[in-house]
Amino acid sequence: MQSKHAASLPSRRQFLENAGLGFGGLAASLLLERDSMGAPASNPLAPKPAPLPAQAKSVIFLFMHGGPSHLDTFDPKPLLQQHHGQPVPESFRTLDFQFTKMDRVPLLGSPRTFRRRGESGLEVSDLFSHVGRHADDLAVIRSCHHDGFTHITGQNWMNTGWAQVGRPSLGSWVVYGLGSESEDLPAYVVMLDGGIKSGSPAYGSGFLPAMYQGTLLRSEGPPILNIRRPAGTDAAGQRRLLDRLQAFNRRHLEARGEDSELAARMNAYELAFRMQASAPEVVDLSQETAATQALYGLDSDVTRPFGKQCLLARRMVERGVRFVQLYSGCATNGPSPGWDGHNQIDQNHETMAAQVDRPIAGLLEDLKARGLLGETLVVWGGDFGRTPFTDGGESGARNNAGRDHNPYGFTVWMAGGGVRGGQVVGATDEIGLNAVEDRVHVHDLHATMLTLLGLDHVKLSYPFQGRDFRLTDVGGSNNLARRLTSG
Amino acid sequence: MSRLYTRLNGPVRKLALALATLGLLSPTRARAEVDPAAAIGILQERCASCHGEPRMSGLDLRSLQGLLEGGSRGPSIVPGDARASGLYQAVCCDGELRMPLQGNPLSAAELGVIESWIDAGAKWPAGAASIRSEPWWSFQPVVRPAVPQHGVAWARSPIDRFIARGWEESGLAGVREADRRTWIRRATYDLHGLPPTPQEVEAFLTDESPAAFEAAVERLLESKRYGERWGRYWLDVVRYADSGGFETDIYFPDAWRYRDYVIGSFNDDKPFDRFILEQVAADEIWPDDLELRGSYEIPPEKRRNLEARIGTGMYTVGTVYHEAALNGHQLRYEWLVDAVDITGEAFLGLTVGCARCHDHKFDPLTQQEYHGLMAFFEGTEIRRIPVVHKMSELGHYSAYPRQLKVFEYQRALKDLESSARKRMTDRIAGRFPDDVVTAFRIPKAERTVQQQMQAAILERALTEAGLLENPGGYAAELPYTPEERSRRETLIRELGEAAAGARFALPTATVLGRAEVRYAVRMTDRGDWRPTGESVSPAFPSALGGTATAASADRRTALATWLADPSNPLPARVMANRTWQGHFGRGLVGTPNNFGRQGELPAHAELLDWLAAEFVESGWSVKHLHRLIMLSSVYRLSSRFDAANAAADPDNRMIWRMNRRRLDAESVRDAVLAVAGTLNLKAGGPPARPPLSPEERLGMWNQDHWPESLDPAEHRRRSVYVFAKRQFPYPMFKTFDAPDPAASCGRRAVTTVAPQALTLLNSDFVVEASRSLARRLESIDQPERKVDRAWKLAFARPASQTERAAGAAMLAEAGPEEFARMIFNLNEFVYID
Repeated sequence: MQSKHAASLPSRRQFLENAGLGFGGLAASLLLERDSMGAPASNPLAPKPAPLPAQAKSVIFLFMHGGPSHLDTFDPKPLLQQHHGQPVPESFRTLDFQFTKMDRVPLLGSPRTFRRRGESGLEVSDLFSHVGRHADDLAVIRSCHHDGFTHITGQNWMNTGWAQVGRPSLGSWVVYGLGSESEDLPAYVVMLDGGIKSGSPAYGSGFLPAMYQGTLLRSEGPPILNIRRPAGTDAAGQRRLLDRLQAFNRRHLEARGEDSELAARMNAYELAFRMQASAPEVVDLSQETAATQALYGLDSDVTRPFGKQCLLARRMVERGVRFVQLYSGCATNGPSPGWDGHNQIDQNHETMAAQVDRPIAGLLEDLKARGLLGETLVVWGGDFGRTPFTDGGESGARNNAGRDHNPYGFTVWMAGGGVRGGQVVGATDEIGLNAVEDRVHVHDLHATMLTLLGLDHVKLSYPFQGRDFRLTDVGGSNNLARRLTSG
Repeated sequence: MSRLYTRLNGPVRKLALALATLGLLSPTRARAEVDPAAAIGILQERCASCHGEPRMSGLDLRSLQGLLEGGSRGPSIVPGDARASGLYQAVCCDGELRMPLQGNPLSAAELGVIESWIDAGAKWPAGAASIRSEPWWSFQPVVRPAVPQHGVAWARSPIDRFIARGWEESGLAGVREADRRTWIRRATYDLHGLPPTPQEVEAFLTDESPAAFEAAVERLLESKRYGERWGRYWLDVVRYADSGGFETDIYFPDAWRYRDYVIGSFNDDKPFDRFILEQVAADEIWPDDLELRGSYEIPPEKRRNLEARIGTGMYTVGTVYHEAALNGHQLRYEWLVDAVDITGEAFLGLTVGCARCHDHKFDPLTQQEYHGLMAFFEGTEIRRIPVVHKMSELGHYSAYPRQLKVFEYQRALKDLESSARKRMTDRIAGRFPDDVVTAFRIPKAERTVQQQMQAAILERALTEAGLLENPGGYAAELPYTPEERSRRETLIRELGEAAAGARFALPTATVLGRAEVRYAVRMTDRGDWRPTGESVSPAFPSALGGTATAASADRRTALATWLADPSNPLPARVMANRTWQGHFGRGLVGTPNNFGRQGELPAHAELLDWLAAEFVESGWSVKHLHRLIMLSSVYRLSSRFDAANAAADPDNRMIWRMNRRRLDAESVRDAVLAVAGTLNLKAGGPPARPPLSPEERLGMWNQDHWPESLDPAEHRRRSVYVFAKRQFPYPMFKTFDAPDPAASCGRRAVTTVAPQALTLLNSDFVVEASRSLARRLESIDQPERKVDRAWKLAFARPASQTERAAGAAMLAEAGPEEFARMIFNLNEFVYID
């Protein structure tokens, strides 16, 4: 693509000549090469062709922070309703939970109403009646599992494929494998509405080089850290500063001969400058029509925050951002429950779902209308699911109408990115505690996502501590990609 | 053989492997004469270092019996049928199993020998020498090599002779030497992580004595800034942080004592063997207390023993699994794993962690041996001990009533809050039917399902009103009466006054000590923490010449002594290599934490051994290594590119030039402060917490976990003293590739990305530093001289005629602050030639 700032080139050259610094063959060719080719020659994040046939080009990962209940949303359990209030059957009492001892708590039926939706008849509860309109676009994977029953381990599993900290996040692996299509926006963007419990490792690059880490983007104020120019400096002033800087840098480079690192650093400054222009542009939602804004729920206080994130996500994938992750239910200050419904799950999920249901439905509809859904994989999930029995109260819960964390069986759904909608994969047991049919480990989920992006999850590896690490470790054999896209 | 092999160039080996993979080197498998001795020789050379002592995958190839018994994959040979023999299939690399794992595949000739030998019945001649396991290069004893007779005219140090030989053998010619300005800037950043001051540069340039370089190195080594720089490298290696990570990210209130211990150890040039002993087992080797003599002052020898024991803090600053663990046993198990892993990486340069769950696939370490290492740490506990005299400790409790007063005010405030909450709760409850209120009043464990549902109605209303107590939190705003409000204000004021007069913390250090109970270390199933298997005694890995040790009470002493023994070849090699890396940006072994089979082979195996031998013979003096390296000719080389050399050795492994290096994260920040003239050189003590912008705070889970230092001078301290929070690394450091302290980091990645540019262009930190630098230049009258001064401060050189003119023009047009901001962004600022 043609640089948006090509117009500034003559003035830069002008400056160089006026300043008497001159610039010789090498540096000049670098400069010109970037301007005519678009992508800088030595850009380590330059897009790489997918090694396998790709269905999706980018990912939007909707993360329900705290752990959404599968039992109240996408995985109805009639038997659980029947046995509401009774003790947990003996045969299930084999697992560890963060707070709950299974022999002390009763089963908790779902207070929600499920309905079959779309032509496929996919069952979705009334918490997600808007998303339910897109039932025929959703592939609901009901048999997900890992073993991290605390938020940190759950979030680490879902984001990095490992319970402990220190591994690169999914988005980092994707950018490491595919590079970035966007020259002036970060390749991997994360939007939070507050702090997340697992902290920056959830979008960190672990042992991969830091350039693959997620960049936080804010929907209010300066969108990216340090993107705002210092007070009193306008864009033209910053450009002048950069021109002078680069002129000195070119002299420095010429005096030293070949050095791709020095040249790469000069390119990084050009990218930074372009980001300063394009980041504010991408978050400027006034460019969207009132109808589009309403589609995402920007017309209501309840749905506006997450709606903004969803709309921004669409704007970013449109501009070539590879991996976007949105969080719902983070704390803005101190402990806040998010989706962590230890107390009164009904009220908790009603509040939380009301914030995201319309925006997510709007996102799916908008992506579809713009022809972007086919190449954008949308994934919905959280830390884990929740227990079919009540929280034991040791978490500080005040009553017995909440659910504890359940990593042993939970739901993730996917849409777009070549995925055939209206299908259900796998199943949990009769009460929704364990994934039992067609079990899909987090490694399998990750393998599926990488495959849809055209990456081989076995070959995508990085040497560290004496071995080649993979996102999917030694797992990922239940790769769903083929099944999700066929038919 | 191995020595020869280590001199093979990386690219050549890669090419061979690549060709082999493509099948281009696929052996024609020429029929060879049956030659048992040759076949056994091949097994010895290529296989026995893994399948001998130790027996990887249970396989011992050192005898016919071992071959026939085989290992976990069954018998390895079928006498008379090579193609049906697992061993032959593996070395042919036809199937899933490809051997040897490292190094070149067997040649066609070698394969032929093996094939005909097996086909002929695999006879093992009675007189054949039994196979010796040839150890991996890094496990072989350090033998001081003879200094080569190369580069005599050029060499200033024996180091140079090795380098010159390397050039000659690879057809390289070293570039010319750098000028003295470049050298002093390089040397100062190398040892201090800071730029030289213009005066220091001037003094060095005008010192015409032959000992000018020696004098400069001595001056730099004597400064306390040296330990702050080289201590930081060690802190990377031992994955230092001030908090434990995960959701709770527990704070280590006195981890900084270990950080200061590390800095002090480098400044004192503490013998490295002593440094090992202290960190692993000071509490056992120099047991002591602080109370027996003196009245309040601690006698110096006791103080020294305490200082040594603070070294065991190395094992107390790792990741703490805290809330993710099911119980204390799991926590303890994870701690043991961390202890073994960090010992392996820091001292042995071996990544042993793989063997937690299964025999190491590449290095000779079995799961059993891994647990043998764990057993050295069993019976140890982390303990927080007072670092004051017993008399002072007791004195602390004489002031306890003042703390009690604080608690009283806190309780009174809480009572006030409860009564307001209760009044409001009653008012809301009054709007609900009696049965709901009754159900709500019943303790929740005793409620029926019906009552649970009823109570939930009221609880929901109370939650909405913000009245249900938030565990760990205080209600922000309650409907206080005017009297309550005024009493509350009084209480808060009095609480503050009481707190100001109270003494809270007894000074402590977190160290290792003997646990009251010592559990047995048991084998576990694939790394799960639940002990299932047989119990394991402390033992050193057999590949390192280790044997089981008597299970004495002082287990860590045995481990520390073994590590610090000069006959253990790894610690000296590993530390010599780390030191080399600190001066050249890359070690002679490019994988400083991995001297095993998955690590890089040394570019200069003999030079590394020579350095290791010098290191040990000098009494393990790291400063001796600095002197040797920095006074060499190779350290004086320019960083200039040379096309002919680059064609032969693109990675500069033979060091035909100095590597140009970007400043690491801490040095970028420290250099900005130093050039701005605002760096606070206060050393040691609790971590400094610079301010964070709202954008930076976004994403921090517990917002109150980064209380900004109130004293602004603290914000400008050296980076090694900045709070190292595992869950929230200081953003600027992360942007410039500071490592994640989740694991040991032997060598940092260097990336070049736009967020770094944004940080240096726009951050509040740089804007403020620009203002300071502008002020620093204020008193200089002419613009050209301002430019010159800035250049000397930032680049240790005067500005050229052209630069002065361009800089002066910029000063006139953009002003001094923007000019200063540009300085911090120049490539020359962050790159060292």
